[in-house]
Amino acid sequence: MIKIKRSFQYVVLTVVSFVSVFPLLWMVISATNTSLDVTRGAMLPGKALIENFQKLIGAQNVSQAMMNSFKYAILLTFASLCICSLAGYGFEIFHDKGKDVVMGVILLAMMVPFAATMIPLFQMFSKAGLLNTTAGFMLPTISTPFLIMLFRQSARSFPHDIIEAARIDGLNEFQIFYKMFFPTMRSTYAAAMTITFMNAWNNYLWPKVIMTDQKSITMPMLVANLTEGYVTDYGVLMLGVLLCTIPTIIIFFVLQKSFAEGITGAVK
Amino acid sequence: MKRKSIALLLAAVLSLSLMGCGAKQEAAQPAAEETTEAATDEASAEEAPAAEASADSNTLTVWCWDPAFNIYAMEQAAEVYKEKNPDFVLNVVETPWADIQTKLTTAATSSDLSSLPDIMLLQDNAFQKNVISYPDAFTDISGSGIAFDQFGGAKLAYSTVDGKNYGVPFDNGAVISCVRTDVLEKAGYTVDDFTDITWSKYIEIGKDVLAKTGTPMLSMQAGETDLIMMMLQSAGGSLFDAEGNPTIVNNAVLAEVMGVYQELIKSGVLIEVNDWDQYIGTLTNSTVAGTINGCWILASIQTAADQSGKWAITNMPKLETVDGATNYSNNGGSSWVVTSNCKNVDLATDFLGSTFAGSVEFYEKILPSSGALATYLPAADSAVYGEPQAFFNDQTIYALITEFAGKVPSNNTGVYYYEARDAVATALTNVVNGADITSELQAAEDTVKFQMGQ
Repeated sequence: MIKIKRSFQYVVLTVVSFVSVFPLLWMVISATNTSLDVTRGAMLPGKALIENFQKLIGAQNVSQAMMNSFKYAILLTFASLCICSLAGYGFEIFHDKGKDVVMGVILLAMMVPFAATMIPLFQMFSKAGLLNTTAGFMLPTISTPFLIMLFRQSARSFPHDIIEAARIDGLNEFQIFYKMFFPTMRSTYAAAMTITFMNAWNNYLWPKVIMTDQKSITMPMLVANLTEGYVTDYGVLMLGVLLCTIPTIIIFFVLQKSFAEGITGAVK
Repeated sequence: MKRKSIALLLAAVLSLSLMGCGAKQEAAQPAAEETTEAATDEASAEEAPAAEASADSNTLTVWCWDPAFNIYAMEQAAEVYKEKNPDFVLNVVETPWADIQTKLTTAATSSDLSSLPDIMLLQDNAFQKNVISYPDAFTDISGSGIAFDQFGGAKLAYSTVDGKNYGVPFDNGAVISCVRTDVLEKAGYTVDDFTDITWSKYIEIGKDVLAKTGTPMLSMQAGETDLIMMMLQSAGGSLFDAEGNPTIVNNAVLAEVMGVYQELIKSGVLIEVNDWDQYIGTLTNSTVAGTINGCWILASIQTAADQSGKWAITNMPKLETVDGATNYSNNGGSSWVVTSNCKNVDLATDFLGSTFAGSVEFYEKILPSSGALATYLPAADSAVYGEPQAFFNDQTIYALITEFAGKVPSNNTGVYYYEARDAVATALTNVVNGADITSELQAAEDTVKFQMGQ
């Protein structure tokens, strides 16, 4: 009976996982086929990978886009982790009458869709001369309500006794943050890093608005370029999408590991 | 201790901001190097044209989107123009159409037009909407000496607002009916049976072809109004009247069009697919025996090299009961526009005027590789346009299409064109599922009026 139940579970799980993995599989298969074969529904790996790659680098500046995407995403992730973790920690650990009100206001900002703030932001950035710059890319999302909330929540589980013990032992507030809080919160940092990196990497609308220069192009913009035109080369398009996906997949798997490490290394 | 921590914090802030600056310079430097490549001109090395409109007196920045088509055409135009003006530098920024629209909207609504290029390509259907909504963003080029009368009237109408010319027409969107001659042969028909016919004749033959070969004639993306709009324009119909009021209800042309579409679906002559990629698939897979679309569809058809010699083109079927019905229509196409951020309007208009609006030689040059068909009427007489094409049974398709383009009735797009199209698309989906045409069109008109704030 248990065996039947087990095997039934396996069948269901296999089907569900196949359904979830299929789009990725199809992306990889299509990247190796010619456009014509893709439109004809090819389901087996083809031989056109190198040809597609040559066409892709011939038509688009892939290395520039990759470099830009990495640069923007890494810088933004680093900066926003520094700022938001400090903010979240500060909100939880220090006491002030107005802090919950301020937090409420910050959380309210989460409700405002980006499209609503885009035009004033563009005006500001254009006047400040920040179009086509890394700073222009980073500033609007350098501090996000979500990350501040995430760090505040995790700081809640951070024992106040440790902070007091550290103060008695002579650490100043910044050292407490850096030496006590930071190491114990690795898992939160890993999660925040994954989210921020992916958001930064996949960010499309804002860079599209402020990056008017061909040289500031990012990977999602490059993929968008591939879909334009009267004829879409689906093989090349899928290869572009594949290249755009690989970094986020790697980041996800690498950080998933440190995620687990962070949990085992938590305060006892 | 406290001081130390403050120092640390300050140092962190400083290094962060330095990183920002450093990255900025890095971004600027490769930019200078890369643009030289793009401009393929040695002289541009020191000039390093920026993305926005060029301050330099001999450089123009252009936004357009298709490397195989309009970008290629622009670059060739620059080559042609350089013969007359050797110092000319063209800087093309590849920008998908949707992004041109986003950037234009953002720049125009924030009244900061400084990020716009000198010239950009606008889709014809969105032309009126943009010029009417953001008049400050464009330059009136009526008095620039460009020979606008050399273009087809319907095409020119898209880029004319209040009698002023804002654009130089570019690619052709004349509608063609493409058929697979090999499939038709099995059913005992030729392409001539599809020439100068009406929709009921088309459906009649289509049913016969379906019965004999099992192959439907047409495929269309479900919920997409392309075919509806083509039929509507073929009889000179629009979704708006001359004052810009929606005319979806009491529109005899539209009512007939909806009926024809319903009949096409019911008879199985037209099959609906879910998305554009599948639509292309039905053509390359030989799922259908033909298609009706703007002539730019030829480029996708020709990707299936093994179907060479099996295709032929002709004009589209016409409506029956309405006055002014023709076998000609338009779908898609685009025009070049000079922005108000252009510091050098004379250079821009001279460039466009002596290439896109003045050189048959230029159109001959771009045709073979890009298939970019002109709406510039003198090009139709050129020898290159009259060459037979092996893929299409040695038909002289280019001359034919240019001829079609000259016969297209003009239509009225207006500011709310896309909103009206969307509303009609919803109505269409419901009609296909069996809803009543009159009440659906009423609902569509109400939706559009609501969006227009009427």
